[in-house]
Amino acid sequence: MARRVILLLLLFLVFIWEGTIIPWLIPDFLDTRLVPHLAYILILFVSIYYHRHTALALGLIFGLLHDVVFYGDMIGAYAFAMGLSAYVLGLLFQSPRAPYPLMMTVVLIGSLLLDHLLYGIYLVFGLTREPYAWALGHYMFPNLLLHFIFALIIFVPVRQQLEKVAKLRRRAAEEE
Amino acid sequence: MLKLFKLLGNKKLFILLVGLILFIALMGYTLTNRTSLSWPEKVARDTVGFVQGVFYKPASYIAGFFEDISNLSELHEENQELKLTAAQYLMQQASYNDLVQQNKLLQKELKFTTNQLAQNQFDLHVANVTSVDNDEDTGTIVVDLGSKDGVRKDMPVISLNGMVGIVSQTSNYHATVKLLTTLDPLDPNSKAIAATAVGKENQSFGMVESYDKATGMLTMTQIKEDDPLKRGDTIVSSGSGGLFPKGMIIGEVISRQVGDFGLTNTATIDPSADFKNWKEVFVVYTKETQE
Repeated sequence: MARRVILLLLLFLVFIWEGTIIPWLIPDFLDTRLVPHLAYILILFVSIYYHRHTALALGLIFGLLHDVVFYGDMIGAYAFAMGLSAYVLGLLFQSPRAPYPLMMTVVLIGSLLLDHLLYGIYLVFGLTREPYAWALGHYMFPNLLLHFIFALIIFVPVRQQLEKVAKLRRRAAEEE
Repeated sequence: MLKLFKLLGNKKLFILLVGLILFIALMGYTLTNRTSLSWPEKVARDTVGFVQGVFYKPASYIAGFFEDISNLSELHEENQELKLTAAQYLMQQASYNDLVQQNKLLQKELKFTTNQLAQNQFDLHVANVTSVDNDEDTGTIVVDLGSKDGVRKDMPVISLNGMVGIVSQTSNYHATVKLLTTLDPLDPNSKAIAATAVGKENQSFGMVESYDKATGMLTMTQIKEDDPLKRGDTIVSSGSGGLFPKGMIIGEVISRQVGDFGLTNTATIDPSADFKNWKEVFVVYTKETQE
């Protein structure tokens, strides 16, 4: 139980870093090209190694948090995109024994899926007029690369922690 | 038809569809011009904003420290320049004070109403940035002044270099600033800025209403053909229209071309604020206007 709370707090911390520390680490000329969603990548891990329903809830909560804190135009875009894509990827790929390459593939698909969903929503509501090809090259691919590197770094510790939590849950289920 | 009902009997699909509808409703509702936020939004914003503030400031200091080291060589040159500007300011201050006095006197003689007098008065309040969202389409920053400090929706926000954005939402202790990089004539919430050129305030007029993300330039439209506006002019807000006070620096004219319909001209403007490395910004407190 305590482990789960700590993991949740860490996720919140990563969410906070997204808006505070990361912008300072990104070089100036890449400022609008790298818009990392690191918390979302962590949620993808939860979706694969733990459970897709948890990932759905986390995606909705953190997406909504992002929407409310950075409320410029509308609320709901991030919540919808993060919740849906985390759930769908969990539905397709969820397995406690997913190997390294599979998880990396999920991160690549997930990163593209999130950016595409956001782009689609903005397009529907008339918040963007940039052509698709431009958006793809300008921020979707750079984002993809950054998310991939981030996932490479955190893979081992995050998987370990999630497996421990999943094991505890299974044991609790058996006892009942 | 029967197949369709069977498909809807699938619980997951049903929930997905309901969720989709709910989200579209939510987005549509929040896209409209809301005057104030509900309390759960305010609480979430202030709590997260507070935690973000704890991280942002140290990060900005550390980043600033490294920046300072790399800029050390340029410091001497910059210092000389600043001294020169300070001296010039001092000279101008005297004539400025004189002009202000004269202006007040003339306004009194012309019997301006109190509303007219108050229109272009504003105070600057320093605000610390607590977090940044660089999203290409909905870029915002969060600052640590809120409605308890007197910030209201639609107040302009400037940096040392020029105008950076407009307050889009406030909660008790934080406000979100929608950056000028999201200016878009098709966006229902985006507000065009009535603008003019420095030194040609009575002859030049146009609306700064869109930002080109690919080139990083602002576009000013509705410039009349006989307008003396030309390359190199500094563009400032004109104060007409009432939403923004006079004299907020927006940018510099790069080029001027014939507009879409050939009747008016448009100008490309290089924004003077450089939407990055946020530390402190100034919220421009305008006087509340009766509507």
